[in-house]
Amino acid sequence: MAEPRGVLLPAYVLADESGSMAPYQEDLSGGLVSLCEGLRAEPMVSAKLRLTVLGFSDDVRVRMEMADMRSATRLPEVGIRGLTDYRAVFDDLLQRIPHDVRRLRAEGYKVHRPVVFFLSDGQPTDGGAWRRPHGTLTDKAQTPTAPNIVACGIGDADASTMVEVATRKEFAFVAKSGTDIGQAVAEFFHALTASLVASGRSLNAGDPQLVVNRPDQFTMAIDEVG
Amino acid sequence: MPLPGRHVPGAGPGDGLGGFPSGGFAPAGPGPGIPARPTVPPIVPAAPPWQRLTVGEPGPEFEARPPVGPFAYDCPDTECDGWSTPQLTVRFASVRGAKHRYYRQPRQDAARAAVHEPTGSTVFAVADGVSSASHAELGAAEACRAAVRRMLSLLSRQPGPLDLREVAQHAAARLCELARRDTGGREPGPGEVADRYATTLVFGVAYPDSTGCAVDIGRIGDSGAWLLDLAGGTYRALFETKTGSDSTVVSNEVHPLPEVPDPLPYAGVRPVPGQAVLIGTDGFGDPLGDGDGPVGALFARNLGAAEPPSPPWLAHLLDFSKETFDDDRTLLALWPRSGAAAP
Repeated sequence: MAEPRGVLLPAYVLADESGSMAPYQEDLSGGLVSLCEGLRAEPMVSAKLRLTVLGFSDDVRVRMEMADMRSATRLPEVGIRGLTDYRAVFDDLLQRIPHDVRRLRAEGYKVHRPVVFFLSDGQPTDGGAWRRPHGTLTDKAQTPTAPNIVACGIGDADASTMVEVATRKEFAFVAKSGTDIGQAVAEFFHALTASLVASGRSLNAGDPQLVVNRPDQFTMAIDEVG
Repeated sequence: MPLPGRHVPGAGPGDGLGGFPSGGFAPAGPGPGIPARPTVPPIVPAAPPWQRLTVGEPGPEFEARPPVGPFAYDCPDTECDGWSTPQLTVRFASVRGAKHRYYRQPRQDAARAAVHEPTGSTVFAVADGVSSASHAELGAAEACRAAVRRMLSLLSRQPGPLDLREVAQHAAARLCELARRDTGGREPGPGEVADRYATTLVFGVAYPDSTGCAVDIGRIGDSGAWLLDLAGGTYRALFETKTGSDSTVVSNEVHPLPEVPDPLPYAGVRPVPGQAVLIGTDGFGDPLGDGDGPVGALFARNLGAAEPPSPPWLAHLLDFSKETFDDDRTLLALWPRSGAAAP
C-alpha cells in the first residue's frame, strides 16, 4: 500500500432509544455531550478516531457519522421511540462497518479493527433473530472488518444477553442491582470516554490495544451469569 | 548564551556573537605579558534555526513535557550518533514521539552501534519497548546493549557469521535477569518479564570482505529493515511490514522479546554504493508505508545526498510532524563506502 495518510480507529456508540429509556433521555443526551467534550479535550487522541453515534429501537438512526471530534460542530441528539430490536442493530452494522472501512481506506488511511460500544436497557424484542447477523458480523472469516463489541446492560438487560453480544466475556458489563439508571448511563459514557482516550493513546504504538474500562456501578456480566 | 540565529537585543548592525553594540566602548587591552587574543571575525547568524519539518497534515505543536518515572532521566528526548569505518558510514537517531512528549512518558525506543576493531565488522541494534510494559524504555535500551555486547564478544571468538538466534536469546536472558532483580531473586515467568521489559529488537552485523560488505539482520517483533536505492528513492522491505500489507485492518499482533521465535526471522543483504541499509522502529516504518509518498521522498532525498547527513540532522529529519503518527521514531542507516573493501 502507498504511504498511509494516517491510521484510524472507527468507533461506534449504539445507544438504546426504545420507549423504556424515555425517563433517561436527558441522561443519554448529557452522556453524549460529555463524550464529545471529553474527546475534544484530547485532540491528539481524537485525530486517530472517527466516531459514529447510532440510536436504535425498531430501526437504527444516525446521530453522528464518522466524525473527527476535533472539528465536529454539532452534538448528537437522541430520539426516544419504539421497541428494542437488536436485529436492526446488527443488520445495520453488518453493512455500515465494511462500508466505512472501505471509505477510510479509499481516502488513504489504514484502519484499526473497529470497536462498538453497545448500551441497552432491555431484552431484545426480536426474539433470537439478532443472533444470525451478529454471528456474521463478529466472524472474522466472513467479515474481515469484524468489530470488537463492548456491551453494557442497564435496567432490564440480562447479563447472559450482554455476554452473548460482547465479543469477549471481559467486554460485557451490567449495572449493579438497584443502581439508578440515569447514573448508570452517565457512568457508561464516562467509562466509554476513558476507554477511547486510553485506546487512542495506545494506537500507533508497537502494540495497539483496545482498552476497556469497567464503568463504575457496573459488574462484569460473566460474574452475574456464573 | 544566545543561540545562533536568534535576535540579540542591542547588538549592532552586522554584529553576531562577540560583536559590540554600536556606540559602546571597546574593552581595554590585555595586561602586560598577556598575549593579545587573535581577532576573531564575528559569527554571522546566517543559518536560520531548524524549523520542524511537516509532512502532509501536521500534528499538534506544543512544548514537550518532562517524562516521569524512576529512570526517565536516563532516557533523553533525542539521541544521535554517527561515524565511518573504511567500509561503512553509520548514522542513527532516536526521537521521542509527540504522544510521549505530551503524556509525560520517556522515549521507549533505543539504538546502539559499535565497531569490532579486530575484524572491522560493525554491529548494531534497534529496539522499540512495548508500551504496555511497565519499564519499556529500560527493556529497549538493555536489549540493544546486550545484543551489541554479545555480538562483539562472539566476533572476538569467531569472526565468521554469527548465530543471530543465540544473540537474541542472550538479549532475552538479560531481560529475565532484570526481572529477577525486580522480584528479589525469584525466577520470573515469561509473562512477568514481558509485563516489565517486552521490546522489539532488530539487530545485526555488517561484515567487511574483499568486495564490500555483507549485512546479516535478525528481527523480533514488528520493527523493520529496508534496502534504499539512493538514486531511485525506492525502498525494499527486508521483512514483512504491518502497514505495507494489504490486510483490511491493521494487525496488532506483536511477539516481542523475551519471546525468541524459532527460526528467527532473518535477512541478508549485500549493499553496494548507491544503496543504504535502514533499520527502523514502526514509528518510522508506519508513516513510511511502501516508501512511495512524501515521507519516503524526504528520507530518500536526504539519505541520498552527496554526503550522509550529520547525526543531528538525521534526528531533525526523523522528528517530522505528521498527523496521527506520534510514536517514538528510531532509524539507523548504513552506507557502504565507494571503493572500500577489506584487504
